[in-house]
Amino acid sequence: MPNHAEILDLDVAALAEKIRAKTLSPVEITEAYLERIDAHQERLLAYITVTADDAREAARKAESEIMGGNWRGPFHGVPIALKDLCNTRSVLTTGGSKILGDFVPNFDCTVWARLREAGAILLGKLNLHEFASGATSTNPHWGTCRNPYNLDRIPGGSSGGSGAAIVAKMAAATIGTDTGGSIRIPAAFCGCVGMKQTWGRVSRFGVLPLADSLDHAGPITRTVRDAALMLQVIAGHDPHDATSSHEPVPDYVEGLNGDLEGVRVGVIKELLTGLSDEVARSFNEALRQLRILGAEVDEVDIPHIEMSSTIATNIMFAEAAEYHEQWMRTRAHDYGADVRRMLEAGMMTPGIYYVRAQRSRAAILAENLKALDHFTVLAAPTAAIPAPRIDVGGRALSDSGQQIDMVAAVLRFTAPFNVTGQPALAIPTGLAPNGLPVSMQIIGKPFDEATVFRVADAYERAREPLPEPKL
Amino acid sequence: MARFSAETVKLLGRELYDYEFTDESATAVARIIGALTNYSRRLHGIGLAGMQPPFGYATLCAEADRIRRSS
Repeated sequence: MPNHAEILDLDVAALAEKIRAKTLSPVEITEAYLERIDAHQERLLAYITVTADDAREAARKAESEIMGGNWRGPFHGVPIALKDLCNTRSVLTTGGSKILGDFVPNFDCTVWARLREAGAILLGKLNLHEFASGATSTNPHWGTCRNPYNLDRIPGGSSGGSGAAIVAKMAAATIGTDTGGSIRIPAAFCGCVGMKQTWGRVSRFGVLPLADSLDHAGPITRTVRDAALMLQVIAGHDPHDATSSHEPVPDYVEGLNGDLEGVRVGVIKELLTGLSDEVARSFNEALRQLRILGAEVDEVDIPHIEMSSTIATNIMFAEAAEYHEQWMRTRAHDYGADVRRMLEAGMMTPGIYYVRAQRSRAAILAENLKALDHFTVLAAPTAAIPAPRIDVGGRALSDSGQQIDMVAAVLRFTAPFNVTGQPALAIPTGLAPNGLPVSMQIIGKPFDEATVFRVADAYERAREPLPEPKL
Repeated sequence: MARFSAETVKLLGRELYDYEFTDESATAVARIIGALTNYSRRLHGIGLAGMQPPFGYATLCAEADRIRRSS
């Protein structure tokens, strides 16, 4: 029997192999994770709720099923955690807010229902930026979530707890949500993999919304293969979500063969400006690696991609303000200052610009599709900078103490693919000289997550492993 | 340059939502919406003539059917 440190070193794919072979018990794995959470939760605040007793009970049940010959698949007996935006029956679901501070749903969101059905074990609910409405995860109600690589740095957001928990080995896999980059930003700042699949590929039923027409729930994991395994479980039409797609779900794992022959990677020219030196250097090195692996790499224009932040902001402001209107009338003082300010701005967003922003989405997608007529996938940095410093009030600071413009530093790179709904995966490209992770995105055609996974997996196999954070 | 004043924000907040903006937030929101309006006007530059918003009738029907079934 491996010791707890050895268990925590295993990714989902490796855990699944050992669980299936009955050489490792879900009970022992769950104990290893609960012990790890106990050791690091106080400093990182990755979790809002830890469901230790329920996790132990579920682990015993999984062990008994597997020993009886009923292995359900790669997530059976694997301990995971969910962003606390996901409704979970009988488990506190706060949205990271004071407003829902004692809310216990009587139903499961579809993402959790599918993972639970696949045998996954719920360790708990993860910290986030209040109501997913920001990119720092500095939460005034549940505490500031911190970056495992440097506790003075933000983990990114809004799924900050989901990114921090993966890198700190406080869960084997997690679910985040992404409206303007909230899966990919924490993946970039914490140094893990974040997959925002095609809009509609995964049901949003039971996930608290930020902006319905931009929202996605998806995997944050240690490896590309783990993200593919997780998406396999949660993807597909859901009768509870009329916007979920009927598009068939392919086998995401079978194409992960490390082969990039014939692959053409289009580097989005407009997103190569404004990068910090360390991000530019690491991104170029990643492109060099893709060439070595056999891919053709060239630059491509997406002429109006820079309009995406304006489009996303209009939509996010208006849709979020509509959802929160009643609470803003009655409980405005219960919001954190930055979230309240965003919702106030949403109340004043003109309707005609909301509709114009919605109409603009097809134009931006058309430009991306035109580029993808010539390229297999597109590539861009995930953020212009490594994780900034933590500051109060939901802001982020540069090393010299200046407030960071998160639109220019982050949203500019991630929001375009919420606007277009294309699949976009964030993968670490290395550590900057200051020891913080940096990341690139691989972007695909709508519903072609399989190709995105294939390219990212090949790169990941060739890349130097990331040094672990010293906790 | 769009001119959106703090007074306008306060008035609209009160009239439309029965919501009282503080002086500080009204000033900040006026600045945010002024800038957003200016950027949004530029969206015309993409060339939107004849372009439909992504509100599909199929989704409308599916959602209505879901509600009908669950009520």
